[in-house]
Amino acid sequence: MAVATPPTPTAGERVDRLELMWQSRPGVLGWLTTTDHKKIGLLYFWATLVFFAAGGVEALLIRTQLSQPNEKLVSPNTYDQLFTMHGITMIFFFIIPMSTGAFGNYLIPLMIGARDMAFPRMNALSFWLFAASGIFIYTSLFLGIAPNAGWFNYVPLANRQFDTGRNIDFYSLGIIFNSISSTLTAGQFIVTIFKSRAPGMSLNRMPLFCFAYLAASLGLLFALPVLSADTILLFLDRNVGTHFFDVAHGGSALLWQHLFWFFGHPEVYILIVPAMGIATSIIPAFTQRKMVAFPLVAIAELLVVFIGFGVWAHHMFATGMPTISLVFFAAATAMVVIPSTIQVFAWCWSMVTGTARFRTPLLFIAGFIFMFVTGGLTGIMFLAIPFDQQVTDTYFVIAHFHYIIFGAAVFPLFGGMYYWFPKVTGKLYYELPGQISFWILFVGTNLLFFPMHIVGLLGMPRRVYTYSDGLGWTAYNLAETIGGYVTLVGILLLLGNLAASYFRGAPAGPDPWHGPTLEWATSSPPPDYDFPVIPKVTSAYPNWDPADRQEDRRKLAEGVLVLDEGHEQVATSPVDGLFAEIVEMPHESPWPIILALTVSLVFTMLVLQKFGVAAVMAVLCVLALLGWHSKEPQES
Amino acid sequence: MTDYVAGGRRLDEVPRTTEAAEALAVSRALRARLGPPAACWGMLILIASEGMLFAAFIATYYYLRFTSPEWPQDGLPAPKVLVPLILVGCLIATSVPMQLASRAARGGRLVATRLFLLAALVVQSGYFAYEVHDFQDQLRKFDIGRNAYSSIYYTLLGADHAHVALGILFNLWLLGKLARGLTTYRANATQAIAWYWHAVNLITLAVIGTLLSANV
Repeated sequence: MAVATPPTPTAGERVDRLELMWQSRPGVLGWLTTTDHKKIGLLYFWATLVFFAAGGVEALLIRTQLSQPNEKLVSPNTYDQLFTMHGITMIFFFIIPMSTGAFGNYLIPLMIGARDMAFPRMNALSFWLFAASGIFIYTSLFLGIAPNAGWFNYVPLANRQFDTGRNIDFYSLGIIFNSISSTLTAGQFIVTIFKSRAPGMSLNRMPLFCFAYLAASLGLLFALPVLSADTILLFLDRNVGTHFFDVAHGGSALLWQHLFWFFGHPEVYILIVPAMGIATSIIPAFTQRKMVAFPLVAIAELLVVFIGFGVWAHHMFATGMPTISLVFFAAATAMVVIPSTIQVFAWCWSMVTGTARFRTPLLFIAGFIFMFVTGGLTGIMFLAIPFDQQVTDTYFVIAHFHYIIFGAAVFPLFGGMYYWFPKVTGKLYYELPGQISFWILFVGTNLLFFPMHIVGLLGMPRRVYTYSDGLGWTAYNLAETIGGYVTLVGILLLLGNLAASYFRGAPAGPDPWHGPTLEWATSSPPPDYDFPVIPKVTSAYPNWDPADRQEDRRKLAEGVLVLDEGHEQVATSPVDGLFAEIVEMPHESPWPIILALTVSLVFTMLVLQKFGVAAVMAVLCVLALLGWHSKEPQES
Repeated sequence: MTDYVAGGRRLDEVPRTTEAAEALAVSRALRARLGPPAACWGMLILIASEGMLFAAFIATYYYLRFTSPEWPQDGLPAPKVLVPLILVGCLIATSVPMQLASRAARGGRLVATRLFLLAALVVQSGYFAYEVHDFQDQLRKFDIGRNAYSSIYYTLLGADHAHVALGILFNLWLLGKLARGLTTYRANATQAIAWYWHAVNLITLAVIGTLLSANV
């Protein structure tokens, strides 16, 4: 893992010292107590893949149930749970944790030249909370009492009166549980991006990838509490006897929708913005040119999320709101077109004016742009209020947001898996199977989602359990189901390719793509301390500044900015990247996983309606926090 | 190596802040640092997230109010004005000793830090004790499950009290830590917890203001 051939013996000694200081415990215990952002990123990756598989199986069951008229593969009750869990899983347990937890954790410190996140133990905590919340909500599925009112869980259907089991309590508590984890991740990224950049990396020299993750994190930070508030109110309504959503006692059913979509729409951009960040990393590497309109793209990434906070009621055009509200929200929604289009043009123009090499990662980005534009065009159609009212809750909407969520948010994740595979494993993937996997996925997803537009316009409602023959939906539904299985083949080929490459791939070396950002300036896989010297940064494409990289090697020989005296990290000023201080960082710790366990106990007791015991468990959480803070940095 | 410059500063000017474990060294290191520590940034994140939570609750309050023909519903009495306002005034006043404690800690003055914290803690605990008592008192008059008004009334008030309670726990923990002397870690914590209290005081003002608006 050491950096290849340190220039002088003293430099070698320094690297050895760093190695000793930053290495983590071997074996399972090392993984349970790790605070290394790369290991946590990998933990996230594996855990989210498991949830992706679960959500995928649910999707295929739904598609198989709909493959022909009057099908009775699963019971209606199971079907309700399947589509609800599919939505919850793909959004909260796959895309967000995969893009932020896995990609963000692994890459952000490497891109900004840091040795770890700003709060390494909190990072571990957010992973363990995520894993625990996933187990929590999936327990309900195995007990046959999973959430069953759709992922946006409208009242009054979701209130006690019509949904008497524990199903919705698993929903509200599981969502709050998961939100805690996502909030921690979001806060982590914001502080890391503002405080831990290498000295000299002012905001205008920060990679666009980090701008995208900053935007997504700000979105999560400000949107998630509103979802938590909503689910807290629902939990109180169902378990304490309050009347927030109960019209008979002065409450309001629409209140749920307002609060939900205040979160729900920014959420869509939170899903998509990291994908845009991945695109802005892959495009420069495979065109060997700097991104067109760097500042505009950076601003556009932030602006997409910002505008996303003012458009929520376009999900509620069919609820009978006053016309003035309808028009306001339609107009606000139209504004999203501006930052989106800026980015589309910047990506395309970078590819046209650079020397594009269409290797697998860039193919996925090209596919992403196609899917994003297609999904975006149907998105614009919803601005026409009468049209929206006509297609609300039909398969047309399903088609639209799957183009955005699968085509635009997940394709770059696949592209990113190929792109950074050599960095994470030190091996090259197989190119030809990679390209084939792209084409299978591209054909499969279009076959899966495009006919949904048509059946939607023909009037097929979403979430319908089955349908009768003779409505003209049958052939389209069969095509969609076939598309679903083709997509499965593509995903299996992608994962199989990566698995085979892991064991037999050719060595990649530190920088197989001549990539622009700092993660390519260190060895593959990166050492525990990321960089032997805190890198010098004078542009937004630091790996294309050979003089600076040379200087780093010289500094290692001289012992400047190696920080081998302790487990140390630099902190910088938020805007200009001035060198603020050197801080001792926490190393591996058992407290994150202990605290996650105690929090899980609280939620388990809450779902069992044992509120007294839950309070006792909350005291355990406080004790765990006291233990966490018992040792200070100067004592280690 | 001393004349090396990185990120606009000579390397020998950049302090190793977390090493300091004694009052004088702490104040020297913190003067050489640029900007607030990561602890304060972390606290800002917590404040942003809790602020949004309360914003959602307050929005709920007004949404229910403006979609309801009468407010408070079912002829329930509107909350009393004078006593809550005086109490909130006392609570907000504790921002002053909290800020002074934060300054004292950064200046390496341990005794002053402890005293300011203690002064703030006494008032905060008094406020909390009275409010808990009052909360139970009101529950006897009308309970949370009466209607939407009572639901949001107690939810807002209870959530706010919980945040005051958390702040009191923070201060107790901090005083426990400071009993063993001043370190950079503890000075950072004092600064961050002072920020927490400023935010909670503002949130309390917003919450009480919202609840009292039923009188208008």
